[in-house]
Amino acid sequence: MMKPLKLLALFVIPLGIIIAAVPPDRVKHFRLTADELLQEAGAGVQFISPDVVADMLVQKDPSLRLIDVRTPEEFDAYHMDGAINIPLSSLLSDEYTDILHQDAYMNVFYSNGSVYANQAWMITRQLGYENNFVLEGGLNYWFGNILSPEAPSLTSPNEEFAKYDFRKSAAAALGGGGVVATDNVAPAVKAVRPPVMSKAKKKPSGGC
Amino acid sequence: MGPLAPYEIISENTNFLLAFFIGIAFGWVLESSGFSSSRKLAGIFYGYDTVVLKVFFTGAITAMLGLLFMSLFGWIDLDLVYVNPTYLTSAIIGGVVMGAGFIMGGFCPGTSFCGAAIGKIDAMVFVGGLFIGVYGFAFTYPWWEKMYMAKYLGEPKVSEKLGMSDGLFGLLLIIVALGMFIVAEWAEKKWPREEY
Repeated sequence: MMKPLKLLALFVIPLGIIIAAVPPDRVKHFRLTADELLQEAGAGVQFISPDVVADMLVQKDPSLRLIDVRTPEEFDAYHMDGAINIPLSSLLSDEYTDILHQDAYMNVFYSNGSVYANQAWMITRQLGYENNFVLEGGLNYWFGNILSPEAPSLTSPNEEFAKYDFRKSAAAALGGGGVVATDNVAPAVKAVRPPVMSKAKKKPSGGC
Repeated sequence: MGPLAPYEIISENTNFLLAFFIGIAFGWVLESSGFSSSRKLAGIFYGYDTVVLKVFFTGAITAMLGLLFMSLFGWIDLDLVYVNPTYLTSAIIGGVVMGAGFIMGGFCPGTSFCGAAIGKIDAMVFVGGLFIGVYGFAFTYPWWEKMYMAKYLGEPKVSEKLGMSDGLFGLLLIIVALGMFIVAEWAEKKWPREEY
């Protein structure tokens, strides 16, 4: 019985020593070059769809952290549920480094449109921070389409209706306006599990 | 170039198809190594058969070495590999429930399906219990939600928490695993059981 164990040890110990001796993260750049940043920004990797954010909010996903980059006055007047305020002008202040440079949460910047949020993303990305994203369309789109979705026309493809149903139930769960008035059906009290949205990172995980 | 699905080298559907075949292969290997016997599985808790420990730890260090070397060669971006997020409270409670079920039932979820597939009645009863548990949890989810989501830690790695490189932690884990295998084989000699 000792033999297979010795054989295994003969294989894995040398491999382990090699991998331990290799300097870690040799290919990881701390700062992106201008080219790389341009490429990322051009591909729009920073954008996260409002439907995904709505889904996470409805499901109370604790990994979501909304960051309002508008001024404190605007933040006080209205902000999304659970959002924290980091005005763009004080983005680089030391007290926020721990919030922006981390790997536990998914930070989502938002502003009224997406310009300021995008600027915040650019700056943090250039610093090499990860897990920061931009709410696509900003608050304007959020209000107009998620919290008070418009019914698609009758000839729309099925996906449009699925999207509309999801947004309607999300809006009801998130306390959006508009929906109840335009729709006689009682709004779903409990959030319905959305049928359409797929989360980028979610995959089935196996065990024993 | 990897991981394949996030880079869209293969589609999500192909991914599931591959998972399907790998799952069948996994089940076949489990069954042919005797993992469909609850007596063999329960042996780990009494010391007379430690094959569970050996197989799963060998699997873990093989996968770990494979991923670390593939990352070293630039074949896979480990940042894109999905890691289960850690919710500490539910991980501990879930671990205790799973462990207790393992001792009492003699199966873990995967092996119970193996046993059920070859017609073992105890395994079918175990699968039934599994579904009762799944549905029970789903229907009473609002009661647990707070506890379920508590102590969210993100996706921490042990190596990061200890402040060492992934490779060094890998080497330590290999040494620990081999040490455990030696202890396991000693236990098999100390508490032998003739037939099970």
